[in-house]
Amino acid sequence: MKIISVVSAKGGVGKTTISANLCVALRRQGSTVIALDLDPQNSLRLHFGVAPSHHAGVALSLLRGSNWAKEIVQGGAGCAVLPFGHVSESERINFESALTKDPLLLSQQLSSLGLPEDTIVIIDTPPGPSAYLKQALSVANIAIVVTLADAASYATIPMIDNLIEQYCLTRTDFIDYLYVINQLNRARQLSSDVADIMALQFSNKYISIIHQDQSIPEALACNQDALAYAPESQGAHDLIDFAMLINTILNDGYRAPKNEKLS
Amino acid sequence: MNNFVNSSSILKRLGNHVLELPLWNYRVATYSITLFGLIAMYIVISTPLTLSEQAIFAILAFGIALVIRTLPWGQAGIILMIVISLMMSLRYMYWRLTSSVDFGTALDAFLGWGLVLAEIYALIVLILGYVQTAMPLKRNAVMMPTDQTHWPTVDVLIPTYNEDLDVVRLTILAALSIDWPADKLRIYLLDDGRREEFREFCHEVGAIYLTRENNHHNKAGNLNAALSQINGEYVAIFDCDHIPTRSFLQLSMGWFLKDPKLAMVQTPHFFFSPDPFEKNLDTYRIVPNEGELFYGLVQDGNDLWNASFFCGSCAVLKRESLMEVGGIAIETVTEDAHTALKLSRKGYNLAYLAVPQAAGLATESLSRHVVQRIRWARGMAQIFRVDNPLLGRGLTIWQRLCYTNAMLHFFYGLPRLVFLTAPLAYLLMGAEVFSSTAIMVVAYALPHIAVASMTNSKIHGRFRHSFWSEVYETALAWYIFLPVTLALINPKLGAFNATSKGGIVEEEYVDWKLARPYIFLLALNLIGFLAGLIKLATDDGSTGTLIINLAWVTYNIIVISASANVAKETRQLRATPRVNASLPATILLSNGKTIVCETSDFSRNGLGLKPLTAVEIPVGEQIWVSIFRGDKEAVLPGTVSKGGKSIGVLFENLSVEQQRELTQMTFCRADNWVNAWGQAAKDAPLRSLREVLTYGVFNLAPLLRDASRDIYLAIRARSTRIKLKA
Repeated sequence: MKIISVVSAKGGVGKTTISANLCVALRRQGSTVIALDLDPQNSLRLHFGVAPSHHAGVALSLLRGSNWAKEIVQGGAGCAVLPFGHVSESERINFESALTKDPLLLSQQLSSLGLPEDTIVIIDTPPGPSAYLKQALSVANIAIVVTLADAASYATIPMIDNLIEQYCLTRTDFIDYLYVINQLNRARQLSSDVADIMALQFSNKYISIIHQDQSIPEALACNQDALAYAPESQGAHDLIDFAMLINTILNDGYRAPKNEKLS
Repeated sequence: MNNFVNSSSILKRLGNHVLELPLWNYRVATYSITLFGLIAMYIVISTPLTLSEQAIFAILAFGIALVIRTLPWGQAGIILMIVISLMMSLRYMYWRLTSSVDFGTALDAFLGWGLVLAEIYALIVLILGYVQTAMPLKRNAVMMPTDQTHWPTVDVLIPTYNEDLDVVRLTILAALSIDWPADKLRIYLLDDGRREEFREFCHEVGAIYLTRENNHHNKAGNLNAALSQINGEYVAIFDCDHIPTRSFLQLSMGWFLKDPKLAMVQTPHFFFSPDPFEKNLDTYRIVPNEGELFYGLVQDGNDLWNASFFCGSCAVLKRESLMEVGGIAIETVTEDAHTALKLSRKGYNLAYLAVPQAAGLATESLSRHVVQRIRWARGMAQIFRVDNPLLGRGLTIWQRLCYTNAMLHFFYGLPRLVFLTAPLAYLLMGAEVFSSTAIMVVAYALPHIAVASMTNSKIHGRFRHSFWSEVYETALAWYIFLPVTLALINPKLGAFNATSKGGIVEEEYVDWKLARPYIFLLALNLIGFLAGLIKLATDDGSTGTLIINLAWVTYNIIVISASANVAKETRQLRATPRVNASLPATILLSNGKTIVCETSDFSRNGLGLKPLTAVEIPVGEQIWVSIFRGDKEAVLPGTVSKGGKSIGVLFENLSVEQQRELTQMTFCRADNWVNAWGQAAKDAPLRSLREVLTYGVFNLAPLLRDASRDIYLAIRARSTRIKLKA
């Protein structure tokens, strides 16, 4: 089992969309994938065509002491989903305090699933520091930091970097982290400049670009994944390239720092 | 099969091994081997043989050359073929001068000696050509050290006079994008047109705009005026329509750090549009053009002898050395070649690097092409007069020979016209230009021509195709003959003409003014052909001579016919030529959706796009287009000019920054031109002959029809005018 945690400091940067589409793209490239929603918004399932009326999920399952394996739903595009589940306010507070009390809770729950070695688990998290984020980072083999190419997102990156340093870089089973600049539009000067600055600042890290593309939100509205909905779109191509990069990092285990190439 | 491959590579290694023997490092050894070779050669060329002996000797030599041609002996094989070719050609010339110049009448002697002189010229150029191209150096680029602190400062000079800003803009933007430390690179536009628009543009993009009081000495003077105001260690010079790639300096500067005596590095002139020959003969990218022979082979050959030429553009010079010879030479109209000669005389090294790192527009019409070649030819004749490379100090014998050949090459006008009319001497005037029997002429001349052609074909490979070069030369012969002769008499005769580029040919037309001499020559040869046939029918006992002359005149008719067709200007409506290239790109529609594409071509103001899936985008739709290069992306606003499977996008109102990005993503790519370089098929002499024959024969009738129609129309127009006046 390989665990990929998708995180961000700010909300509304497209973590859920990227988590879902990364699952689909990895599945298409031959991996077995499970998407785990660790965000109380409970919206990841919608990307996989799970009915809005489906209320079960990992939060209640944990509180009731039952096994997460029972909560796995077969979603669209061949991906399995573990929804967060519909919870009341008190249930959410109880779940979060359980997470806070037991730092190994997520790790134990995931290993109890007994997944094969080559299964990839992708964890979607709520924005900003939280018990969810701490646990998701603590189990991750790869961390994906999603950001927009704007000043506010850029300013919050050091905060996430600190968390990664604390919860990930200390572990030997952690492979690497990378940045995704989502909804990039190079026609906008500011957007383009921020992307360039990030590329310069994190020149020893992989930076994946997902271009701004109306096809991606449209795909969700049409109850499809973006890869099936608009395969000709730049967004779909970016997601496929992104999944290939993840595969490379997973397979190589370790990668040499990226060098600037003269192309 | 395997065995063959093995043995062939062994042979190649053996051949190269012989060439690299330490023996060649000893003067005594090389001198005595040379002396022995010369004596042996003299015996071979001067031994008198009977007809049948000569025939057997010729067949043997031809056969051996034919076999060597197919063997993979590398450079050693080429040198062997050269030796056989020299043997047959010198033997022919020895025989020619000793046994065939016993002319009967004064007319015979006049025409006969004329032909002999033309043949001697051709033989000298053949031999010098062998010296020049026997062992091309094929220099590799030297990489710059990774530590940029010791990289030298470079000034890029772009002279312009009357070219459009649209053309110059691209070159400036590309020069600004060259990969080099920003504090060590300055871009200068040298505007002899003194145009405000250009000044503003330079100011806007960060290039330095220079003008001068007068336009003395044209381009050379323009460059010299700038040289007095700059202080970089090196100067890179680009014609204002030669667009450099971003890697130009990183590739071309390395040798300067390695060789402190190096004063110049020249790179090829590469054209992304067809020249008039390629356009009007429809041979673009199929038959190599004149430039490909020069930059593909001749320059590489010169480089071995440290005699690479400066060609005025796409080159880097060391400023200090250049100033030592007084800047760019102003005595002749080919300032570039003359400057190189001066640098050589001062003992500086000159290098040629056969990697196309810039590209430009070829001259569009034959008339402009002719004007350009006339200038080159005149300039070379001027150098020959005012600073003859055979005389004066400072050159090695090989440099003298290479420079001399470069100049002699342009004197081909008169000899070519002699060859094109020589058979007429006999057919029309009955003059005997060979005082020998027809069969003897064949036994000596045929092996000379055949082995020389075969050897040249082997040497030239994919850079020149046999017989096509005859067409190129013939088409220009008439035009360069007079200026060259005048310049040889007095170097001051004639004036400089800049060749402007970037035009549209609206209607297909025949440039009769240019074709006229060839129509005349063609008519003359056709009359000669008919006269020959009549003579043959009323056999007077000289069938052999008649047949030789008829064959010769037939060949001439075909070559002239093909050459005259260059004057038929085909339509060219697109003012901005496109470059074929598949680059990753994406269309961004106004509704926010995107479509991944590949480009099919680019130009300075547009793109051809092939979308991944068919999409219907209405013509006139405003879109954005992303073009990618590695991690870099440029997004540009454009208008759809053509819909369907291949989409055309026009960029009309780009900001300067967007133009810069477009240039960087397209013309500046380092790998743009390398792949298209030297990609013509290898020469196959018989195929080339067939191509030229087919072309000449099939175009003969239409050419004559068009000519007679236009002559008729011209006469009618004139008589109408006369009537009106009356």
